[in-house]
Amino acid sequence: MDDSMEARASGIPVPGTSGLSHATDVITEETWWERHERMVLGSGFIVLFLLIWEVGPLIIPLSKGMQLFFATPSDIAAVMYAMVNGDDSMFLNGNVWDALAHSTNAFLLGLGLGVVVGLPLGVVLGRSEIINAMFDPFITAFNATPRLIFLPLVLVWFGIGLWSEVLIVFIGAVFPLLINTYAGVKNADRLLINVVRSFGASEWEINKLVVLPNSIPFIIAGLRLAIGRAILGVVVAEFFGGAEAGIGVMMVNAAGKYHVDVLFAGLIIFMVQVLILTSAVKVMELRLSRWRPEKVKTF
Amino acid sequence: MARIGVRGSAGGLQNEGLKELVYEHRKALLGCLSVTVFFVFWETFYEFVELNEMFMTKPSLIATGLMALIEDGQLINDIGVSAAPFFIGFLSAAIVGVVLGVVMGWRTRVGYALEPLMTALYASPLVAIAPLVIIFFGVGVSGKSILIFVLCVFPFMFNAYAGVTSVDALLVSVVRSLGGKEKDLYLKVIVPSVLPYLVAGARYAVGRALVGVIVGEFFAATAGIGYRIAWFSDMFEMSRMFVCILTMMVIAVVFTEGIRWAERSAFPWRDGE
Repeated sequence: MDDSMEARASGIPVPGTSGLSHATDVITEETWWERHERMVLGSGFIVLFLLIWEVGPLIIPLSKGMQLFFATPSDIAAVMYAMVNGDDSMFLNGNVWDALAHSTNAFLLGLGLGVVVGLPLGVVLGRSEIINAMFDPFITAFNATPRLIFLPLVLVWFGIGLWSEVLIVFIGAVFPLLINTYAGVKNADRLLINVVRSFGASEWEINKLVVLPNSIPFIIAGLRLAIGRAILGVVVAEFFGGAEAGIGVMMVNAAGKYHVDVLFAGLIIFMVQVLILTSAVKVMELRLSRWRPEKVKTF
Repeated sequence: MARIGVRGSAGGLQNEGLKELVYEHRKALLGCLSVTVFFVFWETFYEFVELNEMFMTKPSLIATGLMALIEDGQLINDIGVSAAPFFIGFLSAAIVGVVLGVVMGWRTRVGYALEPLMTALYASPLVAIAPLVIIFFGVGVSGKSILIFVLCVFPFMFNAYAGVTSVDALLVSVVRSLGGKEKDLYLKVIVPSVLPYLVAGARYAVGRALVGVIVGEFFAATAGIGYRIAWFSDMFEMSRMFVCILTMMVIAVVFTEGIRWAERSAFPWRDGE
C-alpha cells in the first residue's frame, strides 16, 4: 500500500533540509554556473558516457568474437535512422511503424482496462472495510508476484495474439492503480465526508465531491507506476511469444541473429516511450493539484 | 461497533473475550475466509462442470501434484537452482547500489552528474536487456545473476540517495555542538534516517529480482522454478504448473510481506508512509 519511496526516489530528489538556512537568507545574484550546474553536469555525464562507449573499442581493440557482440552508439543511431527511413530487414513483416503501432496498441488497451477496472474497485475497497478485508489476500499475492509467471497460463488459455498481450499488460497495470486509489480514498477527510453526508448527499455524491478529488494525487502517482509496469508487460509478452508483432518481437529476432545494434535500438524505443509518458503524467500531476493549498504527500 | 451490545448471561465474560478476539483479528479472519471460499468454490465447481485437464485444474489435483513434486525432490531442487542467482545478484546489487547512492547523496556534484542517466535507466524497462545479457554472459548462473543485479541496483541506489539527502542537517549540527563524535553522528543520526529508505529499497528490489529470475529462466535454462512453469505449460501439465505458480506466489509474498513487517516493527515512526 505504500509506494512512497519509489515515487520519491524516481521523482525530484528530496532537498536536504538545512536548519541553518536563515543565516544565508541574504539574497545574492546567482552566477550562470550556479544556475545551470545541475543541468550541465547531468547532460555532461551522459555525453561522456556515450563518448567512452564510442571511443573505447577504438583504443582497446576488441577481439573478432567480441566485435560480433558489440555495438557503439553510432551503430545504434545508424540502425535507428535506417529503420525510420523504411528499412524493414529486421522485421518479419511490416516495418518499424507497424511494430510500434502494435506495441502501443497493446499498451494502451491494457492500461485502459487497468484504469477502468482499477479505479472503481479501488474506490469500493477504500469505502468498505469488509470487502477490502476479503480482497486483500488476493491483491497482496498478485501484486507481490511477478505477473510474468502467468504468461504461460495466459498463452494456454487465450493463444498467441493481441489479447494475451493485453491481458498481461492489464495484470501488471491494474494493481498500482487499484492500490493507490484505495490509499487515496482511505486518506479522504472523514470530517468532510460527514459534512457532505449531513447535507443529504448520496454515496455517489460523496465519492464525486470529496473522495475522488482528494484521491487524484494518489491516482496519478499510481498511473505513473502503472505505465512502467504496463511497458514491462509489453516487453515480456512480446519476448516470450505472447505476440506476433511488435518492438519486443523485433528484439528477440535480433538477439537470435546477434544483431546487438537492433537490440539496443529496441531498448531505446521502449525507454523513450516510458520517459515521454511519465513526464506527461508529471505535468498532469502539477496541473491537477494546482488548486491544493499545500503539497499533499503522494504515494 | 460489534463490541457494543454483546451481553452473554451465563459465562458471558468468556464469550465477550472471544468476541473481542474475533473483532480484533476480523481482517485476517475475513481474509482467510475468502481464500478458503475461493478454493472450495473452485473445487466444487468442477464437481458439476466437466474438467478439461489440458486447460484447467482443480485444487485437489494441485495438491496431488505438489505431493509428487515434493516426493521426487524436483521442487526443492528447482527452488535451489533459482535461489543461487537470486541471492548473488540481489546482494551484489545491494552493496554496489548503496555505495553509489551514498556517494551521490554525500557529494552533491556526483549526484547532479549521475542522476539524469540513472533516472532514465531506472525508468526504462530494463528487462529488455535480457537477450543482450544472455548473449554476453551465457545462460548459466552468471548471466542470470547479472540480469538480476542490473534490475536491483537502481532501487538500492535511489533509495540510498534519497535517504542520505533526507538526513536532517539540524540534527547533525545538534549532535556536533553537543560534543558528539563521528561515531555518534553515524549511529544516532545518519544510519537511523537512511536505514528505512534502504529497507524500502530492498522491498522493490526483491520484486524486480523475482522478475529477473523468471525472465532469465524463460529465456534459457535447464532447471529452476521459472523454467519449470514454462516446461509444464508446454506439456499441458496444468496441475504441476499451478504448483510452481503457487509456490512462486508464496515465495514472493513471504519476501515482500516479510520486509514490510520488518519495516513496521523496526521503524514504527514511519508507519503510514
